[in-house]
Amino acid sequence: MGLALPAPLSLAVPLFDAKHPRGLDFHHVNSPTPQKYLIETMGGGVALFDYNNDGLLDIFLVNSGRLVNPMHPPETFDRQNPRNWNRLYRQNPDGSFTDVTKEAGLANAGDGNYGMGVAVGDYDNDGFPDLYITNYGKNTLYHNNGNGTFTDVTAKAGVEAGGWSCSAGFFDYDNDGHLDLLVTRYMLWDTQHSKICGGEWQTYCPPAEFPETTNILYRNRGDGTFEDVSQRSGIASVKGRSLGVCFADYDDDGFTDIFVSNDGMRQFLFHNNRNGTFTECALEAGAALTTDGRPLSGMGTVFQDYDNDGRPDILVTVLPREVYALFHNDGNGLFSYRSLQAGLGLLSAASSGWGLGLEDFDNDGWKDLFVAQSHVLDNVEEIDHMLHYKEPPLLALNHNGRFERADSGVTAPIAGRGAAFGDLNNDGWMDVVVTTLGGEPLVLLNHGGSGNWLSISLRGTRSNRDGLGASVQVNGQKRFATTAGSYISASDKRLHFGLGAAEAAKVEIHWPSGIHQTLEGVKANQFLEVREPEKS
Amino acid sequence: MIDVFLLALLALQASGSPAIEHVHAGVAAEKSGQLDAALAEFQKATELDPKLAVAFTDLGGVYIEKRDYAAAIPPLKRAVELSPDLEAAHRLLGYALLAQGYATEAIPHLEQAHAEDALGIALLDAGKLPEALGVLQKSLAQSPDDPELLYYYGRASGLLSKQVFDQLEARFPNSARAHEMMAQDYAVLRDVPAAEREFLQALRLRPQTAGLHLQLGELYARAQQWDKAEEQFRLETQIQPGSAEAFYRLGEALLQSGEFHEAREALVQSNHLREDMPETLYQLGKAAAMDGDAATAQQSWQHLLRLEKDTAVAAQAHFGLSGIYRKQGKSADADREMEEFRKLQSNPGHTDVSPK
Repeated sequence: MGLALPAPLSLAVPLFDAKHPRGLDFHHVNSPTPQKYLIETMGGGVALFDYNNDGLLDIFLVNSGRLVNPMHPPETFDRQNPRNWNRLYRQNPDGSFTDVTKEAGLANAGDGNYGMGVAVGDYDNDGFPDLYITNYGKNTLYHNNGNGTFTDVTAKAGVEAGGWSCSAGFFDYDNDGHLDLLVTRYMLWDTQHSKICGGEWQTYCPPAEFPETTNILYRNRGDGTFEDVSQRSGIASVKGRSLGVCFADYDDDGFTDIFVSNDGMRQFLFHNNRNGTFTECALEAGAALTTDGRPLSGMGTVFQDYDNDGRPDILVTVLPREVYALFHNDGNGLFSYRSLQAGLGLLSAASSGWGLGLEDFDNDGWKDLFVAQSHVLDNVEEIDHMLHYKEPPLLALNHNGRFERADSGVTAPIAGRGAAFGDLNNDGWMDVVVTTLGGEPLVLLNHGGSGNWLSISLRGTRSNRDGLGASVQVNGQKRFATTAGSYISASDKRLHFGLGAAEAAKVEIHWPSGIHQTLEGVKANQFLEVREPEKS
Repeated sequence: MIDVFLLALLALQASGSPAIEHVHAGVAAEKSGQLDAALAEFQKATELDPKLAVAFTDLGGVYIEKRDYAAAIPPLKRAVELSPDLEAAHRLLGYALLAQGYATEAIPHLEQAHAEDALGIALLDAGKLPEALGVLQKSLAQSPDDPELLYYYGRASGLLSKQVFDQLEARFPNSARAHEMMAQDYAVLRDVPAAEREFLQALRLRPQTAGLHLQLGELYARAQQWDKAEEQFRLETQIQPGSAEAFYRLGEALLQSGEFHEAREALVQSNHLREDMPETLYQLGKAAAMDGDAATAQQSWQHLLRLEKDTAVAAQAHFGLSGIYRKQGKSADADREMEEFRKLQSNPGHTDVSPK
């Protein structure tokens, strides 16, 4: 079944409508201080997930907290104050939102926690997605009770981590049907060891000013508790300054691998050795540095197949005067740096990227690129007139593997940070929620067009319940089931495929359990739940 | 500070004179580092013989040794009044005046003493830039490794250059060159719109000026506006078909735009015009690798490594070769090149490619 392409959308028409939907009254509080505490500029996670299984995506937004000038130990961030709460917004059938934070039991984020990001996964396979919140401080695991409420089970589960956590993600590294958890940590830093850089400019310091640290891998024991296997698995064998994480089985050996984006140094690719251990091999695999052997200011990252060759590729957002890094998966465990071939040299060399996604926004069968953008330094324009602090997001449509700028519909520049992707209004067109540092989130609703589509929900039986880690091929396109990726954010677990003019699809699923499932003649334009066969 | 000339002069003075005795005592005290005692002796000598130029010179010299330049000036002035041909007195007076900021006043004394190095500085401080440049150049020819002279020579060159450009701007404000200079100033300030406006105005006035498109292209490249940069570099290659740099820059911009085949053509031309430039060879290899021509990439980088062993661009070539060998399944070669790359990293803590 070949891929039929519809007439391209007119680029003159913006793809999205930027909305502030009724009821979504969140305002991110980062409390910038003259002390230039680095945490001030890094927060703003967002999750799109259906917490109550009513078929509508809800929005969870991570707040950061209050900082004073200067901070004194013990560090507290006034998280009991409602303006500093994380917020859960339930989507109503009319597209408006209702703040259900308090009744959901999510109001208390912990006074010692300055909020960063969020991961979503059904770690106990009860059919209700759970939340993991990362902080500077201690992280929090909220179990979804299935009745609209959540319970903080961090202590029981043993996943509080500590230090400065950023992106996190659920995945099943040992294919035992229970979602494990990878937590990235940025650096060894606290307010008492903070510095101000830039001389008279008084700016945030670059990451190299602070020591590297390890990331954490928690193995899910399947009884509601997790075991820290960071050392045993090899994840802690390297130290980094990690901000982003994404998952895919890049060498098609049936086990999920991990890519971690690091700021100001080489990137990490953890190959899953299929025995509970990982080997960090980014340098040898060609996914650690640019083609010139230079380190990257890695921020957000995504691990999906952009050129429809069936192999997951890696995209990393970076700072200006670098180029968003695209590591093309060449097969045989090797990657090549293809940013320039893909057009990213022209699109991104002057920009700073954070959250990102590879999603088919125009349903033409090719995954497009969306990036939340903004520089790290709020005074960068005083220092360098060529750069900008606030930037509009980047929307680049994918034309046979080459990205070209398109009108996102966001005209005003923003301090973009997190980005999550999903079909908010269930119209078959992918939408975006972008967070802004110290501001309000933007909801970008896709106008839609003429292309057909298919949205697949996986229902694991032998695999984890949501089938995270499965690879799903539809009419020659492949997606890897994950809620992770982007930057400190979590996206809709449903797998969206643009089908172009095709009205039917062949669906092939490789479940983490090893089961291979094929569905022929699947009608386009539907939300399809696929249940994993009990037997192979 | 009491130099040989003065000692010789002293020897010629009638011995036995009480003033001379004090001068001798002063010289001895100065030699043993007893500067206050030396001062007292020389002071006494000048009181006993107010016409003894050597005593006044020595007195000023000790004050200079004590870095009390203000106190040094009156006795040294008296010394040159008494003995206008006394070079040592002129030199010391020149130093003292210069140290106090009286550069113009210092100049004739330093000229008379043939103190070229200090004279150059005095001329520079007095704003006599062409003269300063000449004198400093002469001094540098004698002492090419003197960091002070190098500093002042560089400063004089820069100031003279600015002075000439200021004159050009003042006298011909609407000339192409004046706009070009303003553009350069804005470019230094990273004010891209203003620099762009001035470069374009210069180009309107003199469209065929060599180097203008190149500079405008470099401005766009620094601002990461690669499509505009490419256009300017291409125009420069038309004006200056013999410019290796213009072709190099064009190749670089085309690479950034993902136009690898065209980039290769430009870089080949650059390499033809100026052979064996490591940067060109590196970019040529990169363009070939991205164009899918691993053999040419390998050839370019190996050629580069025969020219350069331990530079940043050599490290990049090793890194590139490692990738090529890895894809060819030559693991041992890939590992060897990666090891060379690791070794050459100037800042392994930052690049962090060392095995943990």
